[in-house]
Amino acid sequence: MIKKIITIFSIAVLLYSCGSESGNNNNYDDGFNRSELLANLTDNIIIPSYNNFQQELINLEQSAINFTNNTDQDNLESLRSSWLDAYMAWQHIEMFDIAKAEEIDFRRKMNAYPCNTIRIDINISSENYDLNNSNHYSAQGFPALDYLLNGLTDPIILFSGNDGQNYINYLNSLVQYMLLNTNEIINEWNNNRDLFINSTENTASSSLNKLTNDFIFYYEKGFRANKIGIPAGVFSGSPLPENVEAYYHNLNNNTTSKNLALEAFVCIQKFFVGQYFDNSSEGTGISDYLNHLNAQEQGNNLSDLIISTFDEAELAITELDQDLMSQINTNNYDMLVTYDKIQAAVPLLKIDMLVYLSIDVDYIDADGD
Amino acid sequence: MMSTLKKYINSYTDSSPLVIFRIGFGLMMFFSILRFWSKGWIDKIYVKPSFHFTYYGFEWIEQLGEYTYILFLICAISAFFITIGLKYRISIIIFFLSFTYIELLEKTIYLNHYYFICVLSFLLIFIPLNSSFSIDNILSKHRSTKVPRWTIDSIKLLLCIVYIYAGLAKINSDWLLEALPLKIWLPSKYDLPIIGDTLMQKNWVHYAMSWGGMIYDLSIPFLLINKKTRNFGFFMVVFFHVFTRILFPIGVFPYIMIMSATIFFDSKVHDRIILALKNVSKIKFKDYKIKDRNSLNNKFSIIILSLFFILQLTIPLRNLAYSGNLMWHEQGYRFSWRVMLMEKIGYTTFKILNKDNGQSFIVDNDEFLTSYQKKQMNFQPDFILEYAHYLGRHFKNKGLKNIEVYADSYVSLNGRKSQRFINPNINLLAETESFANKNWILPLKNE
Repeated sequence: MIKKIITIFSIAVLLYSCGSESGNNNNYDDGFNRSELLANLTDNIIIPSYNNFQQELINLEQSAINFTNNTDQDNLESLRSSWLDAYMAWQHIEMFDIAKAEEIDFRRKMNAYPCNTIRIDINISSENYDLNNSNHYSAQGFPALDYLLNGLTDPIILFSGNDGQNYINYLNSLVQYMLLNTNEIINEWNNNRDLFINSTENTASSSLNKLTNDFIFYYEKGFRANKIGIPAGVFSGSPLPENVEAYYHNLNNNTTSKNLALEAFVCIQKFFVGQYFDNSSEGTGISDYLNHLNAQEQGNNLSDLIISTFDEAELAITELDQDLMSQINTNNYDMLVTYDKIQAAVPLLKIDMLVYLSIDVDYIDADGD
Repeated sequence: MMSTLKKYINSYTDSSPLVIFRIGFGLMMFFSILRFWSKGWIDKIYVKPSFHFTYYGFEWIEQLGEYTYILFLICAISAFFITIGLKYRISIIIFFLSFTYIELLEKTIYLNHYYFICVLSFLLIFIPLNSSFSIDNILSKHRSTKVPRWTIDSIKLLLCIVYIYAGLAKINSDWLLEALPLKIWLPSKYDLPIIGDTLMQKNWVHYAMSWGGMIYDLSIPFLLINKKTRNFGFFMVVFFHVFTRILFPIGVFPYIMIMSATIFFDSKVHDRIILALKNVSKIKFKDYKIKDRNSLNNKFSIIILSLFFILQLTIPLRNLAYSGNLMWHEQGYRFSWRVMLMEKIGYTTFKILNKDNGQSFIVDNDEFLTSYQKKQMNFQPDFILEYAHYLGRHFKNKGLKNIEVYADSYVSLNGRKSQRFINPNINLLAETESFANKNWILPLKNE
């Protein structure tokens, strides 16, 4: 008996130690090109999305300058429309809360809503504030601009009145700070692109793992909770319609919050399958990686299951009232049903997908129990 | 029968294996406490979180906050005292108490090897590791070169129990027939040099390692006990544990197991090591009066340790009292040497229903739990229940007097598709922790 065991072990040891290929070349070889996946996500999605966003911000800055020079209704309208264009472009990059963006708290500086109007008013009159201070995160970015451009009762009079210069200054400093941070992040992407796509090891800090974790986090928080769940009162018991994204613009325009949510969802789906920012082609995405890892779940392909769950959720959002606020106020039940359909993808992403990717997020010892 | 037992109890053997064991154990404990400290884990795990998961029956354990550092300090100092054999008996008692207290503070970081340290240090209270080559010898001016045979044998017995139960636990269909969870874990080690992109991806390697691991655990005790195979057995211990250390984040455990296995060697081997240590350290031990027989209270120790081993043999079997898949419901899973058996990942949220107005809301777990607590809570029923009760208390204190708590829970076990884990229609506030079967855990489907 013992001899047998020894023999088995010796063979095992021999096999391990020589590390030779035994000609058993079946399809279990990993052989997946993670760099190619990362390169596609970086070169065809992340960087183009950022470049597009940067361009929209430059337009926004120009509109703000025009409005500064000539504070009239026409320039206000074009400023509003540049703001909305930039806000739509923002939906493409919010999920990439990684590297420089994460370091400077970009996401929270750009899109913490609802904004804090009291603090904004104080900042405008005092002209004494530090946008880098987390107390001021909810007084800047898109939500604060929303308040300035769409939330004030008579913006032309305010911006050209006695305190007009204070309003103008705050507007411009917000826009410039957004652009400044964006430029910084784009510079880092351009400088560290190679480093990023070659970080393919399986550690908590490697590129793919961070991107995937950020993607899931964004789906759960930035998208599911912020855009739908919180306004519908999922986390508070009673609905909070004033917590929709772009609240003030939505009051006038009715469709803004829903359009932003739909735009964000399209970005989520494009990222998952690796579709280019400009839609010209589809490269390698996380879905391909999952397929490669043989993620067959009871005959269902996990990628397909996630995609069809996304589709159902998107359909549910589409079928909501064009005005999310009125949907919440008149028939919040449908809003909650939509939330559940978005939520249905969360276990698939957070459990099934992570099992297959075996992403190492442990930061203390574990023995697997 | 009784006479052989009596004879055995009164038989003596060289104490040198205990000396090496003492130094090895003490040093490892000392350095693992420093390691834990230096990684900032004391703060992260014990000080920062506002809520802690506790063990059933030990909910009364007082959290120490910042004073946890002092407890670790006490634990480290006692480990050092053990190493040099200074006031051994009191040091090992303090070590056992402080280490166990630390473990009882937070269930989230339960690991079999921490439990092993608790159990082993309890056992060591009754074993005279300071018999020779210790400061205690200098202080008391006597030493014993001989110790009762049962002292060394009981350490061996504990190790055998650990290995055998670990091996038996591996005899299950996931492990042997599906090579799970190794089939999931090993391919993710693609970034290891040489073997990462080759062997770790091979299906046959996953099977070989699953079966090898099972055979290894079951045969190691026999390989180490048998003199002829001992060297090979020890080589396997070193190889296996170093290999698992490379593959998995299991901290200092492999080294502790390697060190512990030295107890199986003959005293001659240990004598040589002690001689080398004496030469290096230049400590001169005068010719103290050699007491052949150690003065510890034999009878009392033997009774306590007999009970101890009966418990060690039965505790790992308590899962037999529960039906269903053990890895799924985890009732009786802990404290039974089930190591690396499952890849389990879950996602659990809680709905608070206000019975007064019918409104409900979902709790943001990030408000209450650290990410590591959340990860563990997500798939373990007793955590889910304890947390549900915590949430109940929290919201009752906030003025919601009449509430119910429901869990929306999904879990994936060993790569199966995630499925509902907790009955979503059961108000968890109405359930209490006990040894009774938790019938609010839904059975694993497609078994």
